[in-house]
Amino acid sequence: MSGRPFVYPPEQAQAREKMRRVSWISVALLLLAGVVLAFTVGSSQAMKTAWLSDVLTAIPPASLIFALRYELREPSERYPFGYLRSLSVAFLVTAAVLTVVGLYLLYDSGMKLVHGERPPIGTVVFFGRQIWAGWTMIGALAFSLAVGFTLGKLKQPLAEKLHSKPLMAEARMNRAEWMSEGAAILGIVLVGFGQWWGDAAAAAFISLEIIRDGWDNIRQVVADLMDESPTRLGEHELEGLPARGRAEVEKLPWVEDAGVRMREQGHAVAGVVFVVPRADGLGAAALTERLAETRDRVRALDWRLHDVVVAPVSALERDDPPRPAAD
Amino acid sequence: MGADVHRGSAGRRSRPEADLVALVAFALVAACNLPRDAAGTLDRVRGGTMRVGFAVDTPWVADSGGEAGGVEGRIVNGLARALGARIEWTHGHESELLNALHDRELDLVVGGLTADSPWRAKVAFTRPYHVDSGVVLRSPRAKARQEKHVLALPPGENGWLVHVERFLRDERALLASALEKKTGTAR
Repeated sequence: MSGRPFVYPPEQAQAREKMRRVSWISVALLLLAGVVLAFTVGSSQAMKTAWLSDVLTAIPPASLIFALRYELREPSERYPFGYLRSLSVAFLVTAAVLTVVGLYLLYDSGMKLVHGERPPIGTVVFFGRQIWAGWTMIGALAFSLAVGFTLGKLKQPLAEKLHSKPLMAEARMNRAEWMSEGAAILGIVLVGFGQWWGDAAAAAFISLEIIRDGWDNIRQVVADLMDESPTRLGEHELEGLPARGRAEVEKLPWVEDAGVRMREQGHAVAGVVFVVPRADGLGAAALTERLAETRDRVRALDWRLHDVVVAPVSALERDDPPRPAAD
Repeated sequence: MGADVHRGSAGRRSRPEADLVALVAFALVAACNLPRDAAGTLDRVRGGTMRVGFAVDTPWVADSGGEAGGVEGRIVNGLARALGARIEWTHGHESELLNALHDRELDLVVGGLTADSPWRAKVAFTRPYHVDSGVVLRSPRAKARQEKHVLALPPGENGWLVHVERFLRDERALLASALEKKTGTAR
């Protein structure tokens, strides 16, 4: 129902608070890992790429924290539908940054491979002992790997509880970190064995991972912009929620026919229900009462349903959502 | 003495974890001679010929009859002696020498190079063997103007790089005497 801010049920409200905390922890840990990597980065391309990918993965949780501040604001004159879509804005930022930086890094490491630029990795003095810098790089990468793994583990259950696409995307991104860091470690070890191409090859692999993350996010944002029907969390498949909504409405004795359209707005779902009332000579007051009751029935189907408008029409323009062809 | 006490409590039957620890330890020992060179410079230089380019920049590199003298000349001679290598000197300008170094036609270049040189992106600089802070007059920005003196090696020859850096750190006595002679000649 438009005009009121979205209210999370208690369980989800708790998960949302947790999500905010996890996002802060993410930003802090990823930046810490970024600092650790920065100290050891040297002239290794794989290290540079791993470092950038670490710092980049701190952007999504940061923009999520920002979006959460706006999400539940009262609708205003300028934004009469509320601020729920601020989560999509967070998504857009993430998608754009990841893609651009990923492409740049791929180009950079590709050129190093083509020109046969060999990475020099010398020694560092670590607690008074002179050791090969490759070892400290591997240590820093292992730390960063542990950070990504832990964050992914923390975020996934929360994302499921909140049906949060941005958080799910983050959890996947963090889990994919281990592959990047692993590749960087392998690259450094290859350099250690005199295989100079290992470094740039690992960097190219990591940048492909970054681009893939960016691409996944872009697809998500575009789908949001296009008012895609709700999809299953982390999947491409459509959810059955609109069909359930229609079934619910069609059960009402006074309804001849019904159509339901839904779209996701951040964590919430908004929708329009078209009903064709049976011709039984209802007065306007009785009709609006029935419409309000219908709206409440539909909203009771799922906690995410928020902005549901029920519109009486004389005939349906279209079959919404389309019934399976077999029927 | 502490080891005896320890042995008493740890002398149980070895478990899979213990085997794993042994395996990791073995891998680390095997990895101790990392890194290796991409093109085998260190193996070739040891007991062979070391191709050294020098650009004159007194007092760091002085021309002493087709060979490099000065601080860095002494360092190179010490390095060659330790490796049992013969030095093949090439005299030239900084840019031509460093380009040849990038293409691995030389094994080492000296020329009073400092760590902030833009060539650091093309060749491998060693860790600074000497930091000269007395170059500029004392000023609030003096620290930023420290000159970190380095040698240049071919990129990707990391075994060679590590060897030279270890030499520079282990032979501080040689460096000190070389630097002393430099200030002696400069005055």
